[in-house]
This record gives sequence, structure tokens and C-alpha cells, in this order.
Amino acid sequence: MRRLEGIAIALVLSVLVGLPVATLGYQYVVRPAQSEHRVIDIIAYAPEAGGFQPTVIRLTAGETVTLRFHAADVVHGVAIGPGLGIDLGHIDPGEVREITYTFDQPGLFTYYCTTWCSKDHWRMRGVIEVVDPASPDSLPLPERDPIIDALAAEGIDIDTYPDGGPTHGGAHPARVRVSTGLTPHVARGETALTGLTVPDILASLEWRRAHTPLEALELLAQENADADRARLADAVAGLWLSHTPGQPAAGTVASYNANCAACHGQTGAGDGPAAGQTAEEPAAFRPDSMLPMRSDVLYAKIQRGGMGTDMPNFGTLFTPEETWALVDYLWWLTFTDDP
Amino acid sequence: MTVARYDLLRRALWLGRVLRSRLLQPALMLVTLVVFTLAIVTGLFGTPAGSRNFGIVFVWIVWWALLIVVLVPLFGRVWCMMCPIPAPGEWLQRRAIVRRNPGRPRTLRKRWPRRLKNMWLQNIGFLGVALFSGVILTRPSVSAVVLLAFPLIALGLSLLYENRVFCRYVCPVGGFIGLYAMMAPLELRTRDCSTCRLHRTKDCVAGNAQGYGCPWMVYPGNLDRNTYCGMCMECFKTCPKDNITLNLRPFGADLFVSKSHRLDEAYKAFIMLGCALLYSAVFLGPWGWLKSWASLESLPNWLLYAAGLLAIVLALIPGLFRLCAALSDRLAGHRAGSRFVTYAYTLVPLGLAAWIAFSLGFVFVNGSYALSVISDPFGWGWNLFGTAHMPWTPFAPQLLSFLQVGVLTGGLLFAASMTVRFAGDGMVDARRALVAGLPVIAFQLVMTLAFLWLYLG
Repeated sequence: MRRLEGIAIALVLSVLVGLPVATLGYQYVVRPAQSEHRVIDIIAYAPEAGGFQPTVIRLTAGETVTLRFHAADVVHGVAIGPGLGIDLGHIDPGEVREITYTFDQPGLFTYYCTTWCSKDHWRMRGVIEVVDPASPDSLPLPERDPIIDALAAEGIDIDTYPDGGPTHGGAHPARVRVSTGLTPHVARGETALTGLTVPDILASLEWRRAHTPLEALELLAQENADADRARLADAVAGLWLSHTPGQPAAGTVASYNANCAACHGQTGAGDGPAAGQTAEEPAAFRPDSMLPMRSDVLYAKIQRGGMGTDMPNFGTLFTPEETWALVDYLWWLTFTDDP
Repeated sequence: MTVARYDLLRRALWLGRVLRSRLLQPALMLVTLVVFTLAIVTGLFGTPAGSRNFGIVFVWIVWWALLIVVLVPLFGRVWCMMCPIPAPGEWLQRRAIVRRNPGRPRTLRKRWPRRLKNMWLQNIGFLGVALFSGVILTRPSVSAVVLLAFPLIALGLSLLYENRVFCRYVCPVGGFIGLYAMMAPLELRTRDCSTCRLHRTKDCVAGNAQGYGCPWMVYPGNLDRNTYCGMCMECFKTCPKDNITLNLRPFGADLFVSKSHRLDEAYKAFIMLGCALLYSAVFLGPWGWLKSWASLESLPNWLLYAAGLLAIVLALIPGLFRLCAALSDRLAGHRAGSRFVTYAYTLVPLGLAAWIAFSLGFVFVNGSYALSVISDPFGWGWNLFGTAHMPWTPFAPQLLSFLQVGVLTGGLLFAASMTVRFAGDGMVDARRALVAGLPVIAFQLVMTLAFLWLYLG
């Protein structure tokens, strides 16, 4: 009986002490030690509960790391950008998704939620600082964006426009809306262009990005005085998307749906499920509001965000190429709308 | 009333040897202690997502369903034999786990207050847990703290008081297990009461070299209900007359031991029935706002929820039942309200049926989470048995409604037949007994319909 008692005491102690020590020790000591590279656990809470924990991760360029994302409360999604093409997809509460990746170059990257997890979803971001091993104490600086710099040099404040526009509570100077009565459609663009005299400058993508469709419309009207304005507007729609013929890329549509549609609506009507929760009514990508809009301004708004509107900045998530693709998609939504 | 009983130990001698073994209880406790410890550790350190945390899934889905659907209805208080919560305190008291330590249990030998020798503390404790159940049942860390608190309280009480004071008078779970154990077809009893009466040394109470005196402070010689016998099997070991046995008997036989009917137990029946109704509304109902109120998302709303729960459970249900019982008394020719407590025992089968139906509702729907958490108990991305990524799959949803209807109907019929029997006590005319019982049966019917409405929409 004494021997049995000794065994019983040993078993009880092994349960009360050994079990916690073994499980926690395996997770926090043995498992990381067995891994060939660093393993970082990132817990994803809804933004009101703290968002990503931790919010900052520092790595050394060339370091391979396993990032393990745990969804703690609601369904989240995780992607890392800009330019890495990492999208872990949806993570159900309690699920874990991980990626092992080597960050080759110094730079700043952002891991962000891609699922509308709360009204503050867009705040749910974390930063990966990849430092140069030669100077590990100096943080990589964000690069300046030449498009935004050019707008500033031109004297264009991307938040300020001369006319009012749709807001939740009244007119806002950052919006312009022109009632043209025109509903240009890209599908009619090619037919509309047939027989028209098109100024050479309209063939320039660079020019089109720095000007509005209305300006293009006026140029076309000067050269084609007898043409119907509706036909000219269709021609402008065709010209505006002439550098991206066919349907938008699936990745761009998915990116719009994941990041923009909650406010701007899946069809760009400004009627997303979160539209009523923003400080300013989200823009609708419709002819009245888009014909007086420049592509480079749209680009700048996406990259930098909209001051005081709740429009987040996406410059830390998307590359310039991804941003231009999104701008083109906004025009596609505008010029494929059938009222 | 005498009911047919089947002495299991006369037929299964091996069972007697197992029950007399000093290894039995510690071995079972050790198994449950592993699960209990893991539930606390995973609750404290694992994922906050309840559906992926062992602590939530194995305590509030697996254990709960096992307890209320299988163990209590079929085996009575058998869970108390293996419950790990009082184990550390009891082992420290005895300074032994397996062996019979000849010394007296080491405590400060305080006396438990006489006024607390009832179920009221357990009633309050259960209500306390019920008020916070929206949080306790869904948030692993909170659940773990509550689970940890139980053995700590039990340990504290075991330092002050001899025997299982925690289990007998404090444990919120033990209270309703005791109440519903009266339904079980299994009982621990003496074979012959007169043997106990004539036995001078009363080893089952005082203990002897083979075992401890009853830790539950029960004298087996008087045992006529399962309510307070923790089935620790010490009396099997200590009885020198081989006078203790396990019987099979009809379901609910204890409910008719009318001399033992008490107000604290009656209120336990009201609390359990009311809580089953409210839990069904909160956790299975379509009202998201009610769930968020219960989940303590805002204090004012939770206060409203708490006030509503207490009002319904402590005042509305007992009040309405009292009216019905008074009507039944009048119809039976008794003083109005004189059988209020007795009639309350008819809610035991109904309440147990309601809890079984409620538990089936979530175990069928959410039971599959157990397969994934067994492989990844902390939600850390482990995959111990290859089942971590098994998808959430409701089990036989087409069968659930039939089972719930069947269980609730069975509970109602049992309750109604009890009511007629209580109403007809002293009556010869069965028809008059039925008429007298109708008000109480109407109450039971309304409650059953309320459950059916909640489960079937």
C-alpha cells in the first residue's frame, strides 16, 4: 500500500505540476528551439479589443521567419503588403494560419485584416520593420510617392475641391459633383470613337491620368462640334480604359471587394454595409462624381487616405502598380454602370 | 411505498470487489484531474476563441452533456465519486490518496453552521454562476478562473471543516446533481436497515481500518434518497456486515419519499427549471440582443438581464406555481398551499428533461468541436491526433427535434403522473385526483410548450 501511495502522489504531482509545465514548456521553449527559424505568434483581435498583438515586428533583412496568425474572436483575414502577394485568406475564430517567408530587402511592410471584422476594421494593421543587418538600429524610411509629390507641386490639395458634395451632414468641400446627365459606357466606347477626330494627346496614358474625363470630353467636342455629347462621353469612356481592355483582373476585383467594397459598395455605388458609419459619406463611382475627377487624385487618395473622411491609407498595403489597377477598376465601375 | 429493487451486487460479485477497492476512487479522480487541469491551463493560456479551446469545449459541451444526459439520469451522483474538485482538499485532510490513514482528518475542526445545513448556499452559488454564464461559458480565461476557484474554495473549506462540506453544502453543481439524482434508476442503499440499527460501532459513520467514516456525513442506515450520497463507496469498505449494496430501481423512486420534501430543494427545482428556460432562450434562441445582454457587453444591459433572470427564477415561476398548487389543494380538499413544496418535486423530472433537451441542442450542434480541440487543445496550431482541422459538423440535425420532443414529452408525462399521485394522496377516487392535479399539470404543460417553442420555433 505504501508503494501504491507513493505512485499515487507522484501521479498527482505530475498532473498538477507536470502537465502545465510540459504543455507550456513545449509551446514556448521546445517548439521554438526545434524550429530552424524564428516563430512569431500574432493574435488577431477585433480592433476595439486591441487589433493585432503584437502590432510591430522587427526583422533583419534576409531572415526567414514563420508568422503564425491566430484569430481570437471573430473571423479575420490576413494579407501582407505591399508587393509581397501574401494573402492567408479568412481565419475563423480559434484557427491558426501561418506563413514562412524570407524578407530579403530592408523595408516596411504591413500585415492587415482583409475581412470586415468590425466597424473599425480598417484600423487593424501591424507593421513589419525589416532592417538592414549592416545598420540594425536605423529604421527603413518610407519612400516618397512621385505622384503625390507631383500633385503637391501642381498645387492640388487632394482633399479640397471648390464645390460641395454628398456628406452625411451637409456639403463638404472635398467633393465635386457635376450634373451632366451623361451616362458613358465603356462597351459603347469603341463604336462611339469610330469616325471621330481624336486629339493625339488623348492617346497618352500620362495625360489621361492627370486630367479629368470632362476635360477630355471638351477636347473631343472642340474637334467634333457636330457630334452628340452622349456619343462623345461614350468615346471618353472607351479612351479612359483603352490601356486595360477586357474585364478587370480577378486579383484587382478581389482586392477592391476585400478593402473598398464595405464602404464604397461592391458595384461602386457608395452603398456598402459600412457606408453609414464613416465620418463622410463614401464616394460613389458614378459619372456625376467621377467625370470631374483625375486618376492621379484617385491614386493619391487610395495611397494616402482621405483626411477627415475615414478613408484609410492603403499606401502601406498596395504597390503603385496595384493602386493604379484599383484606379482603373474604379473607372470600370463608373463606365459600366447602367442606371 | 415499496418499489421493486434489484440488488446488483448479489449478481455481480466482481462489482463488489471493485467498489471495495481503495484504488477505485483515486484512479477515477486522477483521470478527471488530468482533464480538469488541462481545462484550466488551456483556459488561461490557450486561444480566447471558446470553440477552439479545450477548456470551454470539454467542460461546457462534453462534460456537461455527459453529466446531464448520461451520468445523472442513469447513475445519479456517480460523478461526485470521480469529481476532481474536492480531491486535493480531501487528500490533504487525510494526508493520503489511496491508503486509509489511521489518524483523524487534519482540519481546524470548525463546526459548519446549522442554518447552512441545506441547499440554500448551493442555490445561491448556482444562480451566481448562472448570472455570469454568458461570460463563463464562452470566454476560456473566465471559465478557467471559475474552475480554479472551485477547488481552491473546496481546499479552504477542507482546512476548516472535516469531511466534504464543500460538496454537501456549497458546490453549485452538487446541488442540482443531488436533486436530479433522485430520478436515477441506481441507488446505494443498505440491504437491511435493522442490521444497521443493531450494529453498535456504526463503522460507516465512524470509519475503521478499511475506510473512512462517510465523508458526506450521511448515515447509510437512514439513506432513503440519492440526494446527499456522493457514492464515494467508503461505506462499502467500512461496513463489516456486507450490508451495503447497489440497487437498480424504477426511475424517480426517491421523489415519492414525501417526509424528506424541503423548501430549499423545492427552490432548487424552480431555479433549475427557470434557468433551463432562460439558457435555452439566451444560447439557442434567435435573440442576439439577449445573448449580448447576458455576455456582459454593457453593464446596464447585464443588470437588466440579471434582474430579469432573478425575478423569473425566484419570483415569477415559483409564484405562478404556488397559485397552481393552491388551486390543486383546493380541488383536493386540502388547505391552499399546504402541498406547495410536495408539488414542486414534480418539476424534477420536467426540469431534468428540459436540461437534457437543452443539452442535446448544443451537443448535437457543437459536439464536433471536441474532435478538433482534442488535437489542438490550446488552439496553438498543434495537431496531436490528426483531427485538428476537422470541420465543424452538426450531428444528425434531423434527429435532434424528435429527441427533444420525446424527452420533454416523457418529462411532462412523468411530472403529470406524479402530480396526480400527490393530489390523490388519501383519495380513493382516481378521477377526482386527476381533476385536483389539473392546475399543476397545466403549469407543467405551459412550461413544456415554452421549451418546445424555443427548440422547434
